[in-house]
Amino acid sequence: MFHELLDVLLSGITNGAVYAVMAAGMALVYGVTKVFNFAYGSFYSMGGYLAYAFLSRHFGGYALVLPIVVLGLFIAGFGTERLIIRPLRAKKDWEMLALMATLGLALLLDNLYLVVFGPFVKSLPPLFTGMIDLSGFVIAVEDIAIFLIAITIMSSFMLFLNHTRIGMAVEAVSQDMIGAQIVGIHKDLVFALTFAVSTVLVGIGGVLLAPKYFVSPLGGWEILVKAWVITAFGGMGSVKGSLYAAFILGIVEALVGWQFGFTWTLFAWFTVLLVTLIIKPQGLMGTWG
Amino acid sequence: MGLSMHIRKDLRILIVLFIIVSILPLFCHANLRVMNILITCMIWAVVAASWDLIMGFAGIFTFGQVAFFVMGAYASAIVTRTLGITPWLGILFAGTLVGGIGILVGLPCLRLKGAYIALVTFAVHMILEPFLKSSIGKALGTGGPQGIISIPPFRLGSYTYSSMELMPWFYTALIISFIALFVIYKIIHSTWGLAFIAVRDAEDFASCIGINDFKYKLAVFGISASLTGLIGGFYAHFVGMLSTRTLGLDLFLILLVMLVLGGIGRFPGAVIGAFITILISELLRPLGTYRLLIFGALVIILVIYMPQGISGLLFPLEGNNLGTKLKRIRLKNSQKKS
Repeated sequence: MFHELLDVLLSGITNGAVYAVMAAGMALVYGVTKVFNFAYGSFYSMGGYLAYAFLSRHFGGYALVLPIVVLGLFIAGFGTERLIIRPLRAKKDWEMLALMATLGLALLLDNLYLVVFGPFVKSLPPLFTGMIDLSGFVIAVEDIAIFLIAITIMSSFMLFLNHTRIGMAVEAVSQDMIGAQIVGIHKDLVFALTFAVSTVLVGIGGVLLAPKYFVSPLGGWEILVKAWVITAFGGMGSVKGSLYAAFILGIVEALVGWQFGFTWTLFAWFTVLLVTLIIKPQGLMGTWG
Repeated sequence: MGLSMHIRKDLRILIVLFIIVSILPLFCHANLRVMNILITCMIWAVVAASWDLIMGFAGIFTFGQVAFFVMGAYASAIVTRTLGITPWLGILFAGTLVGGIGILVGLPCLRLKGAYIALVTFAVHMILEPFLKSSIGKALGTGGPQGIISIPPFRLGSYTYSSMELMPWFYTALIISFIALFVIYKIIHSTWGLAFIAVRDAEDFASCIGINDFKYKLAVFGISASLTGLIGGFYAHFVGMLSTRTLGLDLFLILLVMLVLGGIGRFPGAVIGAFITILISELLRPLGTYRLLIFGALVIILVIYMPQGISGLLFPLEGNNLGTKLKRIRLKNSQKKS
């Protein structure tokens, strides 16, 4: 019983770390470009499918495939902003149009996966194999690896945001767009970069979770909802808040799945969302906006 | 005077459209497939126009319309099967119930900002499928993962509607959908509709002159959900069986195409959009899964290059802009003088 609980908590923490990465990407895009990207979940699937496409052809191991997947995701994100979001920006009601366009993109991508890869789920080989035995309690090396990779990505993302010139430009645009332009920051480039980085973040999340949860054409929709619930629960614009929120929700999800079965996990997410919005709409540690 | 002429224009388009549709069975009543498509068009016209009412006029980004449709379908199917009441009452019950659910969903939503509403309503859509399949859903009579088969058809006196003779279905759908669309038309041209347009075009000014649109928005949320639920109930009895497959994203996508193609906030654009989309969808059926791929691309292209949809092409006029209305009245007055 105790070991089982420990197991559940461990899986919650591992998933939580990956959720944190994906929620950070979503908060970044919404905070900087003010676009709610409905295709976010489809980019999650894109990460999984790209990795699958290369790995299943014995192209090489993860070490070789990952950089290619990252590059592909970066281009996809950059292109989406350039080709779909930017033309809308000058229009009246552009936020609604962007919502519709990204929803169209999501459905386009999902159907593309369906046509190219078929309706059945695809599995990816495990990142690492092996077990560690801690006096009777067994931990999979893969879980630890996923956790460590996610934490590394998360911290390098924070370092990038806070300590590089581009990162600071991104921050500046999100705080005051006009001010940023006055000091010579190229806002269009920042928008496109933010989109690209967020796409990479969620896509990597897709690769990390694929060995455990498979890749399917419609698998991204749950991720879209989850990433957004984390962002709302943690507080808009607070990276720290969404980090806590990701772990809390990861653990809650694991516990609910363990006690009531996995059909009910989505209800748990929804309940958390509703309760947050009713009691504290600004989230755990955020400000409205 | 100029104003009243304009108000009637969208109703005129709607009436002409329905008259054309109503005489179509003279030529194709024997062709079950064509009749089926026409009935489907009218069902989806109501869903698309209800969605447009809430999204295009009230300015609320909801993505729960398909969920409301499916709720209505299940509600009517369940009450007619378990309680044995007539489907006519069943669809009214579905409309009332889903309207109530709409208000419940709307209450927390309307205090939120745009993208949050989109998420909450979409989450309702997402959790509906596991709910209908779950043990609780099964206890309510949703049939779980198998869905519901053998939903009773309508009955009029001693006549029972049959799937081999679609004329009665057709005219019933025609009447129900016309009434539903007329309700939407009435709302758009009521004080509520004016309040929405005021808030949409000049939010600060509208609040300055004391327009509080919250209760209107909540009411419209309920009415939009209710009409969708009602027509969902009709759909259930027409098709005769239900499963959670209806919640798949392909219907969502087709509905989105209807709205974008018809023009958002351009009643009765969504109705025209529904007819054209169903027609295109049927023509593209041989393409299989590629059809949805084309639709996805179509949404993006339309949003970027034709955000007003077909309405923008057919009726590229002032829309609901008060300034241009005044200009036109002034122009008419000056013509009279000279």
